[in-house]
Amino acid sequence: MDERFDCIIVGGGVAGLAAAMTLARGGARFLLIERGEWSGAKNVSGGVLWGRDLARLVPDYWQDDERGWERFVNHRRLTFMDEGSSFSLDFKSDHFDAPPYSGLVVLRSRFDAWLAGKVQEAIDASPHAEDSFLATDILVEEVLMEDGRAVGIRAGDERFYADCVILAEGVNNLLTRQTGLQTEYVPADGLAVGVKEVIRFDESVLRDRIQLGEDSGMTNEFVGWATDGVEGGGFLYTNRDSVSVGLVLGMADLRAKRKAPYDLLNQFKTHPAVADALRGGEVLEYSAKVVSTGDLKVMPKEVYTDGLLVAGEAANLVLNAGRAIQGMDYAMRSGILAAETVLEAKGANDFSRTFLAHYRTALDASYVMQDLRGFQQAVQVLHSPAMFESVPRLVCDFGRQFFTVDNRPTKKAYQILRDVRREHMGFWDLVKLGARASRAL
Amino acid sequence: MSDVQTLSLAERLGKVAYRNQGRAEAKPHIVVDTAICNSVCPHKCTTYVCPAQCYTLDEVGQVHFQFEDCIECGTCMYACDQGAVAWSYPDPETGRGVNWNLG
Repeated sequence: MDERFDCIIVGGGVAGLAAAMTLARGGARFLLIERGEWSGAKNVSGGVLWGRDLARLVPDYWQDDERGWERFVNHRRLTFMDEGSSFSLDFKSDHFDAPPYSGLVVLRSRFDAWLAGKVQEAIDASPHAEDSFLATDILVEEVLMEDGRAVGIRAGDERFYADCVILAEGVNNLLTRQTGLQTEYVPADGLAVGVKEVIRFDESVLRDRIQLGEDSGMTNEFVGWATDGVEGGGFLYTNRDSVSVGLVLGMADLRAKRKAPYDLLNQFKTHPAVADALRGGEVLEYSAKVVSTGDLKVMPKEVYTDGLLVAGEAANLVLNAGRAIQGMDYAMRSGILAAETVLEAKGANDFSRTFLAHYRTALDASYVMQDLRGFQQAVQVLHSPAMFESVPRLVCDFGRQFFTVDNRPTKKAYQILRDVRREHMGFWDLVKLGARASRAL
Repeated sequence: MSDVQTLSLAERLGKVAYRNQGRAEAKPHIVVDTAICNSVCPHKCTTYVCPAQCYTLDEVGQVHFQFEDCIECGTCMYACDQGAVAWSYPDPETGRGVNWNLG
């Protein structure tokens, strides 16, 4: 194929498809290449797409007959756990009930395939219905560079050329490293490994057990005993007729503590707070994925160069600052912004790094980089052992004493708090952590 | 069935849809220099951090690697800080790797 594209997108996940949708609507001629047999075949996530950008890509997606998503989120829970207890912050509100929803639980193999279908519809309706493509089952092995400028890609013996390339290849960003934007070896600290099972129930059982509405769902994050002393946390998200349950484990800490992720996942599932939700379910799939933690030190040194832009988790755009694990929404927004810059560059016929810097400016101005920069301290606080060791134990001990009624004189809450603090943490350690956390979060 | 299903790793991997299972020989997408693991590496961490246990220790403590069970997560290429792991993606036609049904 000697024809040239305006843009080649590598990766048909959330970032790549968001970019493709934007290019299709903007009248650009592009080639998206996905290495999986279909979009989503190689993709794993914990499961929540936060924010409302999906409605920008697929207006009225909630009215679509085929549904790419599992449940919208109107119920959120953060659980501190020790060996036998759990203490939760629990928030449920009809404020979340009206579309466009601000959180969707998804299973990527289905969601990405559905979104790719929507992108194909947009291509079919565009002036480039015959010459823009979503290609699957092709592995891009090389970004073709000429005089320091990206001019295309190579897959096997085939070469494809374009005015620019968007790398949306995911966290294992081999091509981004090849271009020199990311170091060849990325060290384990600043990254985590996620393991997950999808566990099936009869839909009515799941709805009754977790008190779900027709389409509504719950997200539950866990800290403490969930990870057996390893930095990180657990999660449980409700799909239509299954739950996604898993752990995200700090990779360097996992290595130092010599634990195996699959053993920790089994242990997590036996905790009463989790086991009561999982009883009787059938494991459908076990999966794993490397996850960025939001630590800016693992980000590529830049997200663009001559003829090239990097979007989504290939640019390590993921943040876990204790409120939610955000990654797919960042992927979506960065994909949109990268493609908007490509459309501007096409208009100006200028794909130099000077022009493509508009992408960086737009990303910096967006909530993505504002939050990533603004919550760096939170990312560091969550690395501190107290957050997954002594704090959850202290909280559970408090709960155990506060909620126990047993024919003995009852202690006041402040007395319990004083006692459990003495038991689990030094006074100044708690004050310092509290001060850091309150500023950081 | 009223209990929580806790599966062994082998049972879990049994639920993974691997590609090109019909091929007599698949092309490895990860190449491990186990001579490094078995000489200078102080932790041999891949033998426990790999979520699919593609890295195993034999009875005399030597590391062995097989790529057939790999679920393409990437953990080993970060966790190994000894330069023993050369990681790439499986070739769609000739490699192994996964098809997630749910993901």
